[in-house]
Amino acid sequence: MRRVLLARLGQGAIVIALVVTIGFVLIRLMPGDPFVAALDNEGVAPQLRDQLRAQYGFDRPLPEQFLRFIGQLLRGDLGWSFSRSQRVAAVLGDVLPATALLMGTALLLGGIGGVLVGAWQGWRGDTSGTRWVSRASLLLLSVPEFVLALLFVLGPALLLGWFPVAGMQSDFAGSGLAALRDLLHHLVLPAGTLALLIGAVVARHQRRAVLGVADAEFVRAARAKGVPESRVLFRHALRNALVPVFTLAGVVFPALVSGAVLVERVFAWPGMGRAIVEAVLRRDYPLVVGAVMVSSLFVVLGTMLADLAVAWADPRQRRA
Amino acid sequence: MRRLFPLLALVAVLACGSESAGGARGGTVIIGTPADADALLMPLVDGVQGRIVSELLFDRLADIGPSLNTVGDVDYQPRLAQRWTWSGDSLAIVFALHPEARWHDGRPVRAADVVLGFTVIRDSANGSPLNAATALIADVTAIDSLAVEMRFTRRAPEQFHAATQVVPLPAHLLGAIPSGGLRTSEAASAPVGSGRFKLVRWERGARLELAAVPDHYRGRPKLDRVLFSITPEIATGMARLKAGEIDVWDPLPPAEIADLVQQPTLRVFSSPSFDYSFLAFNARDPKVPTRPHPLFADRTLRRALTLAVDRGTLVKAIFDTLALPALGPMVRSQATADTTLRQIPFDRAAAAALLDSAGWVRGADGVRRKGGRRLAFTVNVPSTSRSRERAAVLIQEQLREVGVAMEIERMDFAVFLAAQTSSRFDAIVGGTRTTPSPGGLRGSWASAAIPGGGTQNAWHYESAAFDSAVAAGLGAMDPVESKAHLRRAYQTIIDDAPAIWLFELKNVSAVHARIVLPPWRPDAWWSTLGDWSIEPSKRLPRDATPATP
Repeated sequence: MRRVLLARLGQGAIVIALVVTIGFVLIRLMPGDPFVAALDNEGVAPQLRDQLRAQYGFDRPLPEQFLRFIGQLLRGDLGWSFSRSQRVAAVLGDVLPATALLMGTALLLGGIGGVLVGAWQGWRGDTSGTRWVSRASLLLLSVPEFVLALLFVLGPALLLGWFPVAGMQSDFAGSGLAALRDLLHHLVLPAGTLALLIGAVVARHQRRAVLGVADAEFVRAARAKGVPESRVLFRHALRNALVPVFTLAGVVFPALVSGAVLVERVFAWPGMGRAIVEAVLRRDYPLVVGAVMVSSLFVVLGTMLADLAVAWADPRQRRA
Repeated sequence: MRRLFPLLALVAVLACGSESAGGARGGTVIIGTPADADALLMPLVDGVQGRIVSELLFDRLADIGPSLNTVGDVDYQPRLAQRWTWSGDSLAIVFALHPEARWHDGRPVRAADVVLGFTVIRDSANGSPLNAATALIADVTAIDSLAVEMRFTRRAPEQFHAATQVVPLPAHLLGAIPSGGLRTSEAASAPVGSGRFKLVRWERGARLELAAVPDHYRGRPKLDRVLFSITPEIATGMARLKAGEIDVWDPLPPAEIADLVQQPTLRVFSSPSFDYSFLAFNARDPKVPTRPHPLFADRTLRRALTLAVDRGTLVKAIFDTLALPALGPMVRSQATADTTLRQIPFDRAAAAALLDSAGWVRGADGVRRKGGRRLAFTVNVPSTSRSRERAAVLIQEQLREVGVAMEIERMDFAVFLAAQTSSRFDAIVGGTRTTPSPGGLRGSWASAAIPGGGTQNAWHYESAAFDSAVAAGLGAMDPVESKAHLRRAYQTIIDDAPAIWLFELKNVSAVHARIVLPPWRPDAWWSTLGDWSIEPSKRLPRDATPATP
């Protein structure tokens, strides 16, 4: 198991290095640069842009810029964000907790909810209730993230006034318990949007997996021994049926990261997804590369966690 | 758009009349904004948000008055400079600083702070966008702690305007920062200013809070605080405005205005803006910039294309009453603008006749040809601007009527700007935010470089007559003479048709109805924020929330 973990870590490091290199090159190949917006002002001398490009080394050949970047990285310096007037590490330090909170909550709610709903559907078989839930999850799967997010803004937030329209905290949230309550109040809609989407995917896979084990020999044996039905489901059937769902989590994680980009933008959630979009639009090279690095780290770690969960649920994987 | 007609009657009334500001102190104004400030120290600011916040945090030596006249000093109001005296040769001004002026940390504002403000702009390592605007200033020296002398390289009508671009900075806090280190310094993120509002907190990408300075030398602001709440998605911003989460949004997206006018809690009104848009023709070959453009180097062709475009209908179709056809490279709010200039009218028959006479003959596909070359070109449009996209589509149709094929290339904004900078385009639907000063004319349209920098004349318009008229206009000390020269420059460029002057936008803003507004300054509405007020009886619970410690 340890060898598998080490191998996964090695693979993860290679993936991150590749993604960062590709990100570094691609953003610089795109037309424009971090100072192009200065052109929008007729009073600003165009020479200023050239001067700033030279000052930050963006006029140097790409390989030289890359070597400089590696040198900086080895010194623990991710560079300066031009769009946020801050060190990239400080920007990421600001936005990461917000994204981690949003994605962690969504993953937890969506994962647990999806597993429970899917298990219920698979265990109950083909009834009118389970058919309606299937239809609802199919509908959710076919709705793009931002459409669902905008529906939430218009309905529960704007028309009903139950939740704030946007942001992570009220402008004057106070402190202590009041601030926590305010944060959770703001979290409901963005996390709910992502959780519903995750839950829909998980539920469909969980339903199929439970259906697959519902008639398995070990389930029949447990029933024959007189084990209560709920215990048969949760102790015997569900544990075995979780393996494909945990595997799915590894695939869902990258999608969750990209989904969070849109949801963060709609709900003005000050997280990493929003920072990446703004950085790309403003050609903030250092922030784009830093954010891509952290996102890929997220995805690699998420996938590894999913692998570990599979190994926990399926002893055969631990021996592999 | 039709729905806008009755609504804009109200809009216009509100825009014309300005209320007398109430006297009540207290309250909070939350300003919605799609982007965060790029910097807070004025010499380092590039973007609009940074400009708004930095102008609230820092006072200038003097500020432009309501007339927006940038020639001479008669229309300027004292700020940190209590008074000023010109030297006999008009090549120097001595500013006497207000003895009561203090930095937000309580230290007095002194002459050394003015010197530092100039040094920061001039230090090329800081890359200040104000360098070109202050090119007229030779040096700044302290005479004593409360008097500073500014010397100029030459006499010019906008000498004083240039002087007001130098913003005093706290030397006791920033003076020791090494050259080039200001942008990345801690002090740049938490600036100590001299304005009527001080910085309380800056949560990047989320919010920025300012609080009233109680003992300010110009008087305490009526509001307790101002909060900028950042909402990048415009649709969400509009929802927050309707829900009462934010009090101000400027400018409103045109598509939202009809809906927002119906909101009883909001006051929606228009004011002149400083934005104008145009379809510029590249006079040089984008592939080989040393050669003339195969189509647009020809003045007759450019004039024919301009004749073929019905700008009045175009503006009406896109904006209804929210924009006016542009007059030229200017806006009506500028003191030098002239609405009596002779325009190239819409005349499709005359356009066709002109093209016929120039040898462009319609082919079987309806597109004109001359010497085997089709009269076809591509226009670049930024995909971020719906109005420019719509304008391009309407122009495409109008040009097709006279046998001209125009392809539209929609681009990401950064890609669009990159293509513009490098002059890699046949034509572009561009836009410019100008200022009360006509000086920008030289930056965007003259062939000569602007002082302290180059030229942004990416479309390569070259006219000796225009250049000399602009130089004479910007150099004349007499305002009447200056206006006459600039009128000649405007008429020359309109006749030469290096661009089709499309539209001049009106700015539409929304402000919560409980807020009492002083007159709205079209170029900088935030400049009067210190005089905004909220009657106690109309205050919301958040107006009474104590300021963040």
